Amino acid sequence: MTRLTILRVVSKWMVPFILLFALYVQAHGDLGPGGGFQAGVIFAAGIILYSLVFGLEAGRRVFPPRVAESLAALGILLYAGTGWAGLLVGGWYLDFPALNPHHPSHGQHWGIFAVELGVGLAVAGVMTSVFFAFAGRKGAS
Amino acid sequence: METVIAVLSWFCLVTGSAFAIIGGIGLLRLPDFYTRMHGGGITDTLGAGLIMVGLSLQAGLSLITVKLLLILVFSLVASPTAGYALAKSARTHGLEPWKREDDR
Amino acid sequence: MSRLPTLGDQWVVIPLLVLLVCTAITIIRMRSLMAAVLLTGIYSFLSASWMLLLDAPDVAFTEAAVGAGLSTVLMLATLALTSRDAKPPVRRPWGPLFVVVVTGAALVYGTLDMPHYGDPDAPAQRYPSPSYVERTAAETEIRNVVTVVLASYRGYDTLGETTVIFTAGIGVLLLLRGRARRMGTREREKS
Repeated sequence: MTRLTILRVVSKWMVPFILLFALYVQAHGDLGPGGGFQAGVIFAAGIILYSLVFGLEAGRRVFPPRVAESLAALGILLYAGTGWAGLLVGGWYLDFPALNPHHPSHGQHWGIFAVELGVGLAVAGVMTSVFFAFAGRKGAS
Repeated sequence: METVIAVLSWFCLVTGSAFAIIGGIGLLRLPDFYTRMHGGGITDTLGAGLIMVGLSLQAGLSLITVKLLLILVFSLVASPTAGYALAKSARTHGLEPWKREDDR
Repeated sequence: MSRLPTLGDQWVVIPLLVLLVCTAITIIRMRSLMAAVLLTGIYSFLSASWMLLLDAPDVAFTEAAVGAGLSTVLMLATLALTSRDAKPPVRRPWGPLFVVVVTGAALVYGTLDMPHYGDPDAPAQRYPSPSYVERTAAETEIRNVVTVVLASYRGYDTLGETTVIFTAGIGVLLLLRGRARRMGTREREKS
């Protein structure tokens, strides 16, 4: 826990906005620059800021490394699973328009949404767990 | 009215850039770490803020202005905090401030 | 630069590229690793600005977030575990210097043949990119072509990329946590 009060107060205000911004970037991949990769990195940056200011133990309590690893694997499974969904409906692997035969554009939209969510979860999980692995070593400040 | 806004935004952009340049020169020319933090941090925050005000004046009343003002608020909060954290940690680790008697 | 470069663009582009080169040279010559890491962050930020000038906001966004943000933090965390200064070079690196110069010269010679920026006859513009733009407008209601190409038309590639990130994370965790777990078990046996 850092002793500087100003850092603690400012981070306490900024971390929710950072996480909210990560969600915003994730959801607005269709309308502007954004998407899964950026959202995952920004989410991880928010968690890392919290851990740096409030201490590694507090960061581990908020976002346990097990959860981070599970989220990473879940993201990959989500991505691959959406591909399987295309197979189950009768199309190809990762065939999004086949998900909704009446409205192929809706199928595209849902497929892209699910896939970007998978990418975001995977990236956020990987970045956070790598940071916790680095920071938890002996000799780290 | 249009020309007033255009002139105002032009003035803000130029002043903001001038402040940023002054901050950069200060980072190069000032003698030690604390003076550089002081010079660089203040002028950079003000310069970036003025540039954003100028840009939001040009964008008019739209979503872009809201986003720019949010960025302005965040940079006004985060940039001085970062400077303060740097200076405080330098002080804790024993970096002595420059005095006029020093040979620099 | 959303059209062919106009008269005033080089005033922004050329200084930016010069800054990029200067930062790279400074990183190479830096002895203090902490300064080199922070300069790498600056390099990433300049690259992000350069990509924004090339009309690629998605890539610029990712580069700024990863390079200037996360990568710097992770490298600083690594620095806290290793030494602060680079070790001095052991001997004169003439062999690697020769290889690097030859490779760089070959690359520069290759760029002489590249089409101009924004050339409508360039292979990248003729196929398959226009079909992607048209298909996005026709087949989906999504407005960001980059996201559609990334996630749908080139979905396999993105699956591969994400798996690479995941594998890299697993690799790091295996390297760093295997030892810690054994040390932790030893400590629990002691207490």
